[in-house]
Amino acid sequence: MSDTLLTIDGLSAGTEDKPILHNVSLSVSSGETHVLMGPNGAGKSTLGHVIMGDPAYQVSGGSIYFDGQDITELAPDKRSLAGIFLSYQAPVEVPGVPLYSFLRTICQMRPELKTTARKFRQRVNEICEQLSLPDSFLTRELNVGFSGGEKKKIEMLQLLLLRPKLAILDETDSGLDVDALSIVSRGIEAYRKDCDGALIVITHNTRILERLDVDRAHVMVHGHLVADGPASLIDEIDAEGFGRFEAAIEGGAQ
Amino acid sequence: MASSGDSRYLEVKAGVKREEPIVVDIDASAGEAKDTGVLVREGAEATVVVAVHGAGAEDTTSASLVRIIAERGAKVSLVEIVAAGSDARHLEGVGIDAAENAVVECRQYALGGAKVAVGFATNLAGTSARLNLDMRYLVDEGATLDVNHVCRQRGRVTRSQITTSGILKEHAKKTMRETIDLIHGAKGAVGNEIETVLIAGDHVVNKTLPVILCDEDDVQGNHGASIGSVSPEQLAYLADRGISGEEATALFARAIFDDAVIHAPEASSRAAALSRAEEFLGAEMARDVAEGLGLTESEESAR
Amino acid sequence: MSETTERKRSEVADVDRSLYDFVMSEEGYERYADGLTPDIVRAISEKKDEPAWMLEMRLKALDVFHEMRMADNWGPDTSGLDMDHISTYVSPKTKQARDWDDVPEDIKTTFERLGIPEAERESLAGVGAQYDSEIVYHNMREEVAEQGVIYTTIEDALHDPQWEPVVHQYFGKLIPMRDHKFAALHYAVWSGGSFVYVPEGVTLSYPLQSYFRLNASGAGQFEHTLIIVEPGADLHFIEGCSAPKYYEANLHAGAVELYVKDHARLRYSTIENWSKNMYNLNTKRATVGADSRMEWVSGSFGSHVSYLYPTTILQGARSTCEFTGITFAGATQDLDTGCKVILNGADTTASVDTKSISKDGGVNTFRSSVVIGAKAERARATVSCSSLMLDDISRSDTIPAMDVRCGSASVGHEATIGRISDDTILYLMSRGCSEAEARTMVVNGFANPVSKELPLEYAVISRRRRFRTSTCRPRRPGTTCASTRFPSRSRRPSPKARSSRACRASSTRSRPASAPKPPHGSWPRRVTPATSRSRPA
Repeated sequence: MSDTLLTIDGLSAGTEDKPILHNVSLSVSSGETHVLMGPNGAGKSTLGHVIMGDPAYQVSGGSIYFDGQDITELAPDKRSLAGIFLSYQAPVEVPGVPLYSFLRTICQMRPELKTTARKFRQRVNEICEQLSLPDSFLTRELNVGFSGGEKKKIEMLQLLLLRPKLAILDETDSGLDVDALSIVSRGIEAYRKDCDGALIVITHNTRILERLDVDRAHVMVHGHLVADGPASLIDEIDAEGFGRFEAAIEGGAQ
Repeated sequence: MASSGDSRYLEVKAGVKREEPIVVDIDASAGEAKDTGVLVREGAEATVVVAVHGAGAEDTTSASLVRIIAERGAKVSLVEIVAAGSDARHLEGVGIDAAENAVVECRQYALGGAKVAVGFATNLAGTSARLNLDMRYLVDEGATLDVNHVCRQRGRVTRSQITTSGILKEHAKKTMRETIDLIHGAKGAVGNEIETVLIAGDHVVNKTLPVILCDEDDVQGNHGASIGSVSPEQLAYLADRGISGEEATALFARAIFDDAVIHAPEASSRAAALSRAEEFLGAEMARDVAEGLGLTESEESAR
Repeated sequence: MSETTERKRSEVADVDRSLYDFVMSEEGYERYADGLTPDIVRAISEKKDEPAWMLEMRLKALDVFHEMRMADNWGPDTSGLDMDHISTYVSPKTKQARDWDDVPEDIKTTFERLGIPEAERESLAGVGAQYDSEIVYHNMREEVAEQGVIYTTIEDALHDPQWEPVVHQYFGKLIPMRDHKFAALHYAVWSGGSFVYVPEGVTLSYPLQSYFRLNASGAGQFEHTLIIVEPGADLHFIEGCSAPKYYEANLHAGAVELYVKDHARLRYSTIENWSKNMYNLNTKRATVGADSRMEWVSGSFGSHVSYLYPTTILQGARSTCEFTGITFAGATQDLDTGCKVILNGADTTASVDTKSISKDGGVNTFRSSVVIGAKAERARATVSCSSLMLDDISRSDTIPAMDVRCGSASVGHEATIGRISDDTILYLMSRGCSEAEARTMVVNGFANPVSKELPLEYAVISRRRRFRTSTCRPRRPGTTCASTRFPSRSRRPSPKARSSRACRASSTRSRPASAPKPPHGSWPRRVTPATSRSRPA
């Protein structure tokens, strides 16, 4: 039995203007792969961001425990150093910061990853090869001028370099063509194999899940976690969509 | 100036959506000068139209001053069509004060006149007040256009978008000053200015000064200007479709008239634009503009 | 006397400290209310033993200075300049401090914080003559002389029968004394400055630096630099250095005239890092011949007030100009900088790329002018200016002017002002950077395209007779983590150049002396009522 890594207990959160998440509870153990599905606007991304500690959202109730620590109030950088990784749907551009320098910096600040420049270079090249990322990317500015697919690959590059305990992939498959999708899938597989990391895959379409070994699936609608089940839940969604969950929410009160 | 103007003051009461545009009609040949104040109360909507038409006369300058106060949540649409004849002189002034959530949409057309000066100042005083200013101009041969647009953003999350584009013909002189002033306290404000100038002739003097003053960090200010002639690539494309270089300029000019006529909300402004179109593009093309926009014969002749 | 000063110094001109030692006669000069009299100007000229034409020019300039008015209501406030006693800027008090003890505490502390070795501190404070740098300067002159390049002071050139006529031909022709009041003052009291002449077809493989020469000839406030690059020649000249220079008298009214002939190239890099009490009113101008190239790289960090608009006149057909600049304004600074380009020749191109950063109440004004003349067929100019505000008490204004008079020319311009977005901070923090580190990374990234071109290091003596080595990495005051190295663009790769700049990026992790404080309140700042700290407008 693996340990519980992440516990979200009765979490409600939102922006100042409106509440988004309502009483969400779920838990993820080390090495598990979870899928979070739901229609657009369900709050899935928000949940990912709240776990990461995005100050755009305020927690109005409940708690988040990670690796034995209460991180509900913790700053995002501390959460990252604790082992949480969020791969963004639309990574921002940071002009003037070469990708390589950035990667080196974020690795050097983690004692378990600190290494010589030579070894680091090797590791980065290895991963670039795995992800079919040309070397030339390393000298380009962080996310500047990259296509959507390229940006996602760079997120994968960071994932494999940082080796987090928990990786939250936010709509990582959206906007990708078939080849890019396959590379991203490979990245995820490599992450699972090399680090035995836990994974929360947020998606509203199930293609990316085809190659994953899913332990648990969750469904969110209108900010509520409405279903929780084994991987077979995915097939059900595939076949029937989110209709019955949406109806249940609209019909029943909250 | 010939005659002293008549001053007018109108109030659009709270919550009223006034259908009929408030029209300021200026006859340049008579050197008319008018001063109009419009108070648009909370939640009300109104359209103000300034139509300047007529040939110039010696030692005569026409003028229009419009002052608009837009209260909370008001929506004001302002259309100015300065379409005086090619020897007219005209001064156009606009001052706008916008309160919380007020939205001001302005379209300015400087289509004619030998010497035209346009001054435009907006104070986005209230939170979330917005200004969209779109100006098109055609500076004819030897004519002068001097424009000064100022937008002061004081309220938080205010938005301004100023877009100007136009054509300068031979010996035309144009000065365009755009100022976006992001004042301390205007957190979350965004101000954008874009200018595009097509130089279609020699001996042109084009001066462009897009200024951003910024005294607040939580803002975004952008401006862009692009000045030049029709690019070789564009010319090649048009030539492939049978349009020569000169015809290209006429094409762009016609587009400006099309735009003016489409956005003219009522008869006198439409007539002013069409009349100037005839002067500039020639009778045939002007008729084409009118017909293309589905305007009837009777409207055209009601000038 | 210490051992260093005993070593032979005879090969290099001694610092003439008596230059401004004169007794002011009161008689008959009432109209010169500020005390800057023709006698004073004559005394300066006499001490330098100048040709008659130069004295005449000085006296004429003095008249023009008294005649001209200060520009009203334009640019930063210069009321701190005591115009009633302008002679005090030129008189004995304007000398560099005589004694290390006379140098104000904060300057001494700055030198310390910048990690400037003790040996250099005195020199930068103008106190002692830096022996070793004089030797380097001397050696530099010898090496370039072999190629026929002249690198000396204008004063020395005026004493040389071969070069005096050349100076006469070019001096004061590009920047007329009537250009503005301080140009007139400059021509009346100028002193010191480089004279560089690069003969036809000669390419120097490494940059010339004015740093060494500075101390050899005294006060740098009214320097006149004259550079002539003959057809087919190529030169990179570096002016200034990154350590702040301290002067008691706080007016700098220098002039730089650059003549770039046909098929030639000149790269002029500057760091303006005067001390915080300085009024920096510097005038720089270049004229460029056909098929030639002028490159400006400019970093402005110091001064209390700056008016600085390097100007390029693209006279020859197909000539180009590239301007890259960064201005950093911190507390008490009001820096009005930018550039001007005048495109007169056909097929000329100009490209301007500037960045500015405002912080702690600093005021930054970007002021530019692009003028395309009627005959500049197919000329092209692009101007790009980005401003970053690091807090809400600073100011940044962008005032670009474009004057286009030719139908076939094209100009593109874009400018952005803003602050570091919360999303960017979040992204970097979500990868483990603290807020301060994230902010620093973004600011450095923002400045990177320009700062990597700047010659930030100042060179220090080398035992091995090299002309440029870097043992010191001064940090730009007000920014942090400058321990990331920005090698300057020397065309001969420095022997110490390491393989990849990227490898050194790990130094962004080091804790700098002064990390930027998060702006009022902490990140993120929200506009909505619940957390907003500002009152509604």
